[in-house]
Amino acid sequence: MNHNLDQIKQDYQNIPIPETLKQQVELSIAKARTDLANDTSSKKPSSSFTFWLARGAVSAAAAMLLLAILANSSASIAYAMEQIPILGAIVKVVTFREYERQENEMEADIKIPELEIKDSEGNLMEDSTQKLNGKIKAYTNEIIAAYEADLKAAGGEGVQAVDLDYEVVTDSDKLFSIRFHQTITMAGTAQMEKIYHIDKQTGEMIALKDLFQDGTDYETPLVENIREQMQAQMAKDENITYWLDSDVPEWNFTKLPDSVNFFISASGKLNLVFDEYEVAPGYMGIVTFEIPTETVKAIVKDGYLQ
Amino acid sequence: MNAQKMQQLVEQELLTSYDSLYRLAFTYVKNEADAMDIVQESSYRAIKNSSSVKNAAFIKTWLWRIVINTSLELLRRNQKEIFCGEPPERGKEDIYLDFDTIDALDILNEKERAVIVLRYFEDRKLQEIADVLEENLNTTKSILYRSLGKLRVKLTEGELCHES
Repeated sequence: MNHNLDQIKQDYQNIPIPETLKQQVELSIAKARTDLANDTSSKKPSSSFTFWLARGAVSAAAAMLLLAILANSSASIAYAMEQIPILGAIVKVVTFREYERQENEMEADIKIPELEIKDSEGNLMEDSTQKLNGKIKAYTNEIIAAYEADLKAAGGEGVQAVDLDYEVVTDSDKLFSIRFHQTITMAGTAQMEKIYHIDKQTGEMIALKDLFQDGTDYETPLVENIREQMQAQMAKDENITYWLDSDVPEWNFTKLPDSVNFFISASGKLNLVFDEYEVAPGYMGIVTFEIPTETVKAIVKDGYLQ
Repeated sequence: MNAQKMQQLVEQELLTSYDSLYRLAFTYVKNEADAMDIVQESSYRAIKNSSSVKNAAFIKTWLWRIVINTSLELLRRNQKEIFCGEPPERGKEDIYLDFDTIDALDILNEKERAVIVLRYFEDRKLQEIADVLEENLNTTKSILYRSLGKLRVKLTEGELCHES
């Protein structure tokens, strides 16, 4: 008898867990939280199994993209600019296209800006401009493709709203940042962030490692500093939770995600940005840590941080 | 304990035990898509109603109960659909995996199934299972014995068939 029960148990334990299950649970949590916050419960009771129409579709997400252009990365120029208020390159949004669709319960409204980069004399910097617009286009095309794939998969029965908007958040002598905010409303809304950086002098995309001198270990000091900040915040406010020494060791924050998001603030401080669930429970949302420049002073390349 | 804290604990428990919840749902509906729906819907309900949990110690049993109830709801709904002859409104075909031994649980009713799964596969204490089912301990015990009896019968019959 027990032998047979063991067999059933083995099969039970072998029931495969779908890869997307965790994500879907997170979305459900996010949706419930949103509904609780909006208190729509009385008006729209969640009739079971009706809002899961887009089963298996790409995860609902609000993704943000921040494109930052570093106006100058050389210390001498930075110094010169501090002394003499000359105008750096000019970046501005010159026009935008709009992708607008509505099919039954599926809709999309995606704004695609086109930018122009000019040098201080007013001449168009073609290469940089093209590269920047290319990046934006690739990013927006990805969103459109995901929407169209969902639309097709749902066969006219899907319920989804995709909205992409942008905003120029920084426009200083040194830095121009355009931030994209994407909202996908489906079973729920979650947040994800993606930040791209373009070094304006080279027109190339840069990653976190490019801020530091070749071959130096920048990860350890950053992780240590963030862990300290997490600890301090948690000690101060019991509503704050990070996964530091949680019951699930693999969630604990011990290293940076592969393509960690960051931006450099107007005051020249490095900020690291973590998506929902990356370092904390979902209710914490997107979390940002400002790194004191002293922490990495010895290894950072000149001109990036202050 | 305030509502926010409780919601946080429910969220943590969901993210820790979603795979067990999924397996339990799977024993009822036997296909991935429906089991996913159940876990999603249960997660939603759990967060939405987390303020109704009075004691953090009961979060686990409370989640099991939600999953069982949600599974039964879906089964009933599906039955109704078949009865009315409506086409299923699924965009994707449900995939039924071949788990012969899990099918052996079909002989059990909803409570018996929960008792077997929780007691033997999830190693829960009888008292916890009693809490899930909202039954007293003795009733739970007799459900357990009854289930074991039924399973023995079922499995023996299966063996006999193979031999003949």
